[in-house]
Amino acid sequence: MSIVEFSNVQKSFGPHKIFNGINLEIMPREVVVVIGPSGSGKSTLLRCINALESIEGGDIRVDGYSVKGGRNDIRNIRLEAGMVFQQFNLFPQMTALENVMFGPMRVRKATRREARELALALLEKVGLSERANHYPAELSGGQQQRVAIARALAIRPKLMLFDEPTSALDPELRQEVLKVMQTLAEEGMTMVIVTHEIEFARKAGTRLLFMEGGKIAHDGTPGELLANPPSERLRDFLQHVV
Amino acid sequence: MSFDWSAVIAALPQLLQGAELTVFIAAIGLILGISVGMLLGMLRAFGPMPVNALVQVYVAFIRGTPLIVQIMFIYFALPILMHIRIQGVTAGIIAIAINSSAYVAEIVRGSLLSISKGLTEAGLAMGLPFWKVLVFITGPLAFRRLIPPLGNQCITSLKDTSLLLVIGVSELTFTGQEIIADNFRAVEIWSAVAVIYFVMLSAVGLFWQYVERRMPIL
Ligand SMILES: Nc1ncnc2c1ncn2[C@@H]1O[C@H](COP(=O)(O)OP(=O)(O)O)[C@@H](O)[C@H]1O
Ligand SMILES: [Mg+2]
Repeated sequence: MSIVEFSNVQKSFGPHKIFNGINLEIMPREVVVVIGPSGSGKSTLLRCINALESIEGGDIRVDGYSVKGGRNDIRNIRLEAGMVFQQFNLFPQMTALENVMFGPMRVRKATRREARELALALLEKVGLSERANHYPAELSGGQQQRVAIARALAIRPKLMLFDEPTSALDPELRQEVLKVMQTLAEEGMTMVIVTHEIEFARKAGTRLLFMEGGKIAHDGTPGELLANPPSERLRDFLQHVV
Repeated sequence: MSFDWSAVIAALPQLLQGAELTVFIAAIGLILGISVGMLLGMLRAFGPMPVNALVQVYVAFIRGTPLIVQIMFIYFALPILMHIRIQGVTAGIIAIAINSSAYVAEIVRGSLLSISKGLTEAGLAMGLPFWKVLVFITGPLAFRRLIPPLGNQCITSLKDTSLLLVIGVSELTFTGQEIIADNFRAVEIWSAVAVIYFVMLSAVGLFWQYVERRMPIL
């Protein structure tokens, strides 16, 4: 049984058609890395999964819930899909700990104590126990992004979505975030990751999608696609990002 | 000429009574105006098109007419149109409330829209409905940005109450004028009136400075 299923998805921004019939099936425990040139629709693909973008035609199902199934379905999808953004988007008025406690308390109805315990455990997992009481403004970009990952994990998702999680970071801070993501992948978390980190795709990815002009141009394993790019376009693209 | 302190001292109880009414009208007017303004500002920021447009017309109309005309209209014209009697103080409170609500609406709209969309998305992506994101995340952040202009509005509205002298409300300015009509001590009484305003407005300013320090913009 797939955990995410796109069937004939149609998506436009105003007069601009972005997706014209996307089909895609993602199975539990897959680590899907999405690459492709800027503007090819990677973020939109990701954001359609948790209904941050609405679709005009076709359907997307996440663990059986449909993005077109109304408020309840969308809520359930968002509870099952954690999201990590390029710009972290931590809540600036809350400490790292409070950021991570927020989801369990407000959407999972956990008690303050339960939320605190869970949040401390997750901060430990991302290596930030010592920074629990710091505000986002007092943390480096890499630390903020790790808090953001902990915050997303705190709602106990079955699926994690990452939109260029390291693109806003200085190169020397990227590894600490990628390491956390790699650990998640090894633990069997289902992940969809938009990134330009080809090395990460090779190491942690089980599947690679190459998007171009709103289409999934290639869909294969990172090993195959990276070793023998099946098209001139992918070969070009890889030369430019590496 | 000499500055006659005894005239000031004699007038002080009456002036302070006037100041009390000034504060009362400004406080009630602002509480109403800020509450209504917050609601209107939210409608401007997130409301559906027709509601949004309606609020926009309201704001444009209030900001596009002098407060003194609004006061005159509420006190002299509204009773005729609606067949009601209206007290000067009530008219004053309504005028301050309506006037400040329009400015607050724009302030609120601006600060809500200035909060990064990414924070709203982070909240939504967790499964929160939009209103909860507003109440728990973006609203409190917007409120911090609201504090300086809100303090400004309080100061402006407090001063605006002096215009109520045109409808004979015995607030501070009107009281001063009445006393001078009796004792002809213009220098002493207007000086005293100015100092009393200055003290009140400084207190308001300090209060908002304190709030701002406690809740800095993030
Ligand atoms: N909110 C939006 N409004 C209008 N056009 C958008 C919006 N978001 C994305 N687009 C357009 O959709 C296309 C795909 O964008 P996106 O999914 O962000 O690409 P990528 O993440 O691969 O860079 C681009 O042409 C972009 O300009
Ligand atoms: Mg993108």
